[in-house]
Amino acid sequence: MLVQALIGFIGATAFAYIYRVPTRQLPYAGIVGSLGHVIFLLMRDKWGEVGGVFLAATMVAFFSEVLARRRRQPVLVFLIPAVIPLVPGAKAYLTMLSFLQDDYTGALVSFISTVLLAGAVAAGIIIASSLFRIYSRAKHVRR
Amino acid sequence: MERLVGLVLLAGELLLTCGAEMYRVEETIERMGLAAGFVQVEGFATPTGLFISLHAPNGRVYTRVRRIRQTYNKLSTIAEVNSISRAFSDGSMTIQEVHDELERLSKETAPESLGRQLIGGAGAMAFTMIFGGNWFEGIIAGMTGAMVLVLVSWLGRHPVPKVLQAATGGIFAAAVIMGLSRILAIHPDLTTLGAVMVMTPGVAMTTAIRDLLSGELLSGLSRSAEALSVTVAIATGVAIVLTLGGR
Repeated sequence: MLVQALIGFIGATAFAYIYRVPTRQLPYAGIVGSLGHVIFLLMRDKWGEVGGVFLAATMVAFFSEVLARRRRQPVLVFLIPAVIPLVPGAKAYLTMLSFLQDDYTGALVSFISTVLLAGAVAAGIIIASSLFRIYSRAKHVRR
Repeated sequence: MERLVGLVLLAGELLLTCGAEMYRVEETIERMGLAAGFVQVEGFATPTGLFISLHAPNGRVYTRVRRIRQTYNKLSTIAEVNSISRAFSDGSMTIQEVHDELERLSKETAPESLGRQLIGGAGAMAFTMIFGGNWFEGIIAGMTGAMVLVLVSWLGRHPVPKVLQAATGGIFAAAVIMGLSRILAIHPDLTTLGAVMVMTPGVAMTTAIRDLLSGELLSGLSRSAEALSVTVAIATGVAIVLTLGGR
């Protein structure tokens, strides 16, 4: 698990670097990414792949929103690199590869799981950031 | 007034070309426009174009259209434009300062150093290992991924469409790893997967669904089209090599 946490950190930091996240925010993006990957691995056996990705994406979005407010950065800076290990980019690629190799059954199976996983990631992000918006609006109104 | 319109437009354009979300672009335009003294501000952002309409207090309406031709991911510029626009609406930044800062950002070109691509390779390594590869396969995938990034960014400096860049990257990665798997004990599928991951449009795919679910239909559809075409191109490149290699 420690090795996997390290891999998640390396992956998220490397992608943060590719997307040119401001240098001082790189380690934070890496930590959120590592956290998401570990949560996914822990929940995968209990809730299945889609459930695990959903919970991990929700937590990643939540911590990205917290960090964005603390460090006065746009949410994207933390969110995009940190969800990269959860996004089924590899599944999408395998789907296309199976289609091109005439393996239609395999392609359909991985296509459906790609759509479900991408939907789970998006749903997790939307739920967490909507909750944050409701919360900050409520605070604003009270003042 | 003319100058303020230009500033708002430039801020929006910078955000769009660097890959910001549509709502952030529209919100920034609105915030800056109102802070600049316009009474009504309308912004409409799509991934390929930006439309703004600013109503001045004296009744004149300024409307501008800006075509967005190329986009790349540069989150640091988004962060900077964001803080500039906030400082401007707080009043802690003058028009001249905002102008100078935005001009500096728009002249800043994307630095493509070798170090950046090597670190990108670490991403490829992490991916191979996330999917169950061992350290050795990870390192091979990392080196190939870094070379793919060098190749793709070189192609990106020439008028080569994104789809063709991705296909070339796929061909290159698959060819290198197929060749290496003949002499080294590596799992070619896993290793290729990691190496091409540096090109897959994971961000476009997630933002596409996110846009669709939150009602941004136009940008949702165009982003899914982008994600789909790039993924097909990568897979085609890999499949060409696999077919020619007799597997």
